[in-house]
Amino acid sequence: MRLAAAVALAIALTACAPSTTTSAGEGKVTLSVWGWGPEANYDKMFAEYEKLNPGVDVDARSFTTATEYDTILSTGLAGDSGPDLAWLRAGAQLQPLVEAGRLLPLDTKDVPGLASYDEGVLRAAKGDKDGKVYGVPFAVQTLQVIYNKKIFADNGVTPPKTYDEMISSAEKLKAKGIIPFAFGGKDDWMLPIVASIFGTAQWGGDEFLADVKAKRKKFADPRFVEGIEQLGKLKPYFPENAAGVSYTDAQILFSSGKAAMFPGGLWELNFFNENAKDVELGVFTPPSLEGQGLMPGFTDGSYGINVKTRHKAEALKFAAWLASKDYGQLYTDTLRIFSAVPGVTPKDPLLGEVATTFKQHGAAYFMNEFAYGNPSSAAVFSKALQEMLLGRITAKEAAERLDKSVSTWL
Amino acid sequence: MALGMRRGRGSSYLFLIPAFLLYSAFVVYPLFTGLTYSFFSWKGTLRGGFAGVDNYAGLLSGTFLDQLLPALGHNFLLFAGTMLVQNTLGLAFALALSRVRRGKRALQTMFALPYLVNPLVIGYLWTLLLSPAFGPVNAFLKPLGLAMPWLGDPDTALPTVIMITTWQWVGFPMLLFSAALGGIPQEYGEAARTDGAGSWQVFWRITLPLLKPAMATVTILSFIGSMGTFALVYALGGSNGAPAGATDVLGLLFYRTAFASGDVNALGTSSALAVFMFTFIFGSTLLLERVLRRRA
Amino acid sequence: MRALAIKILLWGYAAFSMAPLLVMVLSSFRPTSEIFDQPLGRPTGFGNYVKAWTEASFSTYVVNSAVVVVCAVLLGAGVSLLAAYPLGRREFRGRGMFAAYFISGMTLPAHLGVLPLFYLLESMGLVDSLAGLVLVYAAGSVPFNVFVLTAFFRQLPYELDEAASLDGAGPFATFWHVMLPLVRPALATVVVFQFVPIWNDFFYPLVLMRDESKLTLPVGLTHFFGQFQNDWGTLFAGLVMTTIPLVVLFVLATRQIVAGLTAGMNR
Repeated sequence: MRLAAAVALAIALTACAPSTTTSAGEGKVTLSVWGWGPEANYDKMFAEYEKLNPGVDVDARSFTTATEYDTILSTGLAGDSGPDLAWLRAGAQLQPLVEAGRLLPLDTKDVPGLASYDEGVLRAAKGDKDGKVYGVPFAVQTLQVIYNKKIFADNGVTPPKTYDEMISSAEKLKAKGIIPFAFGGKDDWMLPIVASIFGTAQWGGDEFLADVKAKRKKFADPRFVEGIEQLGKLKPYFPENAAGVSYTDAQILFSSGKAAMFPGGLWELNFFNENAKDVELGVFTPPSLEGQGLMPGFTDGSYGINVKTRHKAEALKFAAWLASKDYGQLYTDTLRIFSAVPGVTPKDPLLGEVATTFKQHGAAYFMNEFAYGNPSSAAVFSKALQEMLLGRITAKEAAERLDKSVSTWL
Repeated sequence: MALGMRRGRGSSYLFLIPAFLLYSAFVVYPLFTGLTYSFFSWKGTLRGGFAGVDNYAGLLSGTFLDQLLPALGHNFLLFAGTMLVQNTLGLAFALALSRVRRGKRALQTMFALPYLVNPLVIGYLWTLLLSPAFGPVNAFLKPLGLAMPWLGDPDTALPTVIMITTWQWVGFPMLLFSAALGGIPQEYGEAARTDGAGSWQVFWRITLPLLKPAMATVTILSFIGSMGTFALVYALGGSNGAPAGATDVLGLLFYRTAFASGDVNALGTSSALAVFMFTFIFGSTLLLERVLRRRA
Repeated sequence: MRALAIKILLWGYAAFSMAPLLVMVLSSFRPTSEIFDQPLGRPTGFGNYVKAWTEASFSTYVVNSAVVVVCAVLLGAGVSLLAAYPLGRREFRGRGMFAAYFISGMTLPAHLGVLPLFYLLESMGLVDSLAGLVLVYAAGSVPFNVFVLTAFFRQLPYELDEAASLDGAGPFATFWHVMLPLVRPALATVVVFQFVPIWNDFFYPLVLMRDESKLTLPVGLTHFFGQFQNDWGTLFAGLVMTTIPLVVLFVLATRQIVAGLTAGMNR
């Protein structure tokens, strides 16, 4: 049997021996890029760069599952088998890589494009402690209500100008057997997003967040409580058992025409265009009780450079391109997502409309600014909102939990 | 016999060597190293200074403990549910199957088949089946007035998880008990019956005591399984144990703390949590093993 | 009357056990839009399978998975069998310690060791190699295998050793000629019970593998989950395809498993 074991080991090792990896063509530098989006889009965009720079081959590699991506990236960068460039998460989630010294700080000398970035956008790619920039932000996401134009027209409903109009329209749709808002609270990361879509104007957007950060105010402030309470007030217009409806269920309710509106991120447009080809989409920002609503948005992620890269010069040059208007335009037009590069005008009319609103009535998405701690305040508050939606705690209690969690790190 | 044992002393170690080396190198060494991480402060994947028991103190801090205790409680409820529902059913099916002649193997195979499906797939599948929006289960139960929120309500979520776990795993205790029953000589029961014992009495006095070794095995594996459960709850309720943390367990808490928090010191805190889990689960397992095997 | 009740109970549960899987198989033959309109319905075509097969490059993954799982299961079962023999049947110093040492591996979250494991494999040049994956899986299967096989060895009649030693057989000869033929069914059991989780694991390949040509089936599945998150029909087709090899294996091995467990639980 020792023999058998030895044979088994031998078989295991020979049959499974690593085949030698082929290196890229003669004299060509291969830049590997890791990310979490659909690979085909990136191959398409990076091909443009390869055309301009014949000596460089950009190899995009996508890891679809988001949480595993963080593990893959952190182990990859810690060892010697990491990529040259990688997508980085924004804000809090970026800090472990920064503090471990895995990333190359970028300056405007190497990446001139960074100079023109909006400070609010760039902040998400900075180290909290040293204030240096570690990535070229690639996207800005906005949060709003997406609606089905045909359902609206068929039922004589228009995007609401006032809060009361929004409620009466929702009533009207509900009476016709249409679910007004496709929203599911089972995947709890959706809860703060939807809370911010309906509540940001209520609590006063960036000004309020600045007050909280400066410890002048707490989340238990009546205005914030009133803002998140909208989730509870709109409950009659969500699907039945909203707390048990998953994110994908909600997407499908909307794309299949069973629901009229979908509160969510702009990235949903791609999904709905793909999966609900016959549905004409519109967007609006829900009005607050007092009037004009605010559209929350956040920087989605950035391209960073591995400090151990063997092709530093090429990687920096590529990063400079990623920060250029050329890439920004390419990105927006290919993916139908706002590029983080300043001054890019989307060709898509719907995107253009959102851009205008965001410029006039934009605000920072509160949760990303408060995602620190372990458990992170985002996780604590998502859970609290879920309990609120289930009617187990009040909005005030939910806000107090957020305060308690924030007080552990702020 | 004593002679044979004495002779075997040295060679016993030879038998152990291959497994010992393989297991030590690729399981114990990484895990043990992982445990030592709990005594350091971390900056991402970069080890910082010695932190003493700071990471452990972190586990006991208010916000963390608010998660740890309910998660542990849910693990125990899962274990209780597994014992009461899954293993009881497993035993009942094994007993019933021992009286069936035709179709026994087909039944055994059907009972055990769900075990083969990837836990993530099971999560997706049951989420669809129980979905309040599209699920066929509620569509079927609604006319009967029996529609339930299933995974959507904190009160029903954990029992639903237990139901799905049972669905997935019941074949395992069933096969083990079937096997153990098959090993009980027929004469025992017959002898008791000729003495005038009813079938319940035969079960309680003869069959059950003889099943004790199998029960010990099932109990220990169920305990370890319930305490370490991860994939299925993750697939059903996500990393936060939705809804409202009603299905949160230690495995999810560890996963969140280590990989999903974005905290700079995530490795330190999560390793401390793992040490706690290890001490607790391993200690309880040894205790269980001792108690159960002694009686058996 | 009682026999009938038992039959109804058993076949009733079998229906419950199979129903979700049947829904999955049926749905895999239906377009996604129909699944959402009407959760249950008649199969309409193979479109999903064509899509799943062509878009997920399952063929490469299947080969990798098969090689990794077979190698890992054989290696893990082989070494565990050797170790379980003295643990279950012989007296020697430190036996209890060794037994506890092997069980301890079952009680830790496997994800805990991923960073040190990664460094270890990297130092051995085994990151991004199927051999590394085999070693990790084989080692990971040791605790369960040893636990089950030890219990099995313990229950074999003691007269066997006596007879063998009277014949002058040493421990290896006893193991090889007397024990091995008897444990074959138990071996089948651990093989099947390890085959399934290794076949289904996606965590290690995700973290330890880089080269796409070396990924295993479940990683292909996670890509699939991401890509077809809302395309249930295609998703189910992929799921059915990855589960079928296990079902075949299991059906083939049921006889052996039942025999193995029966023998193991005999005494």
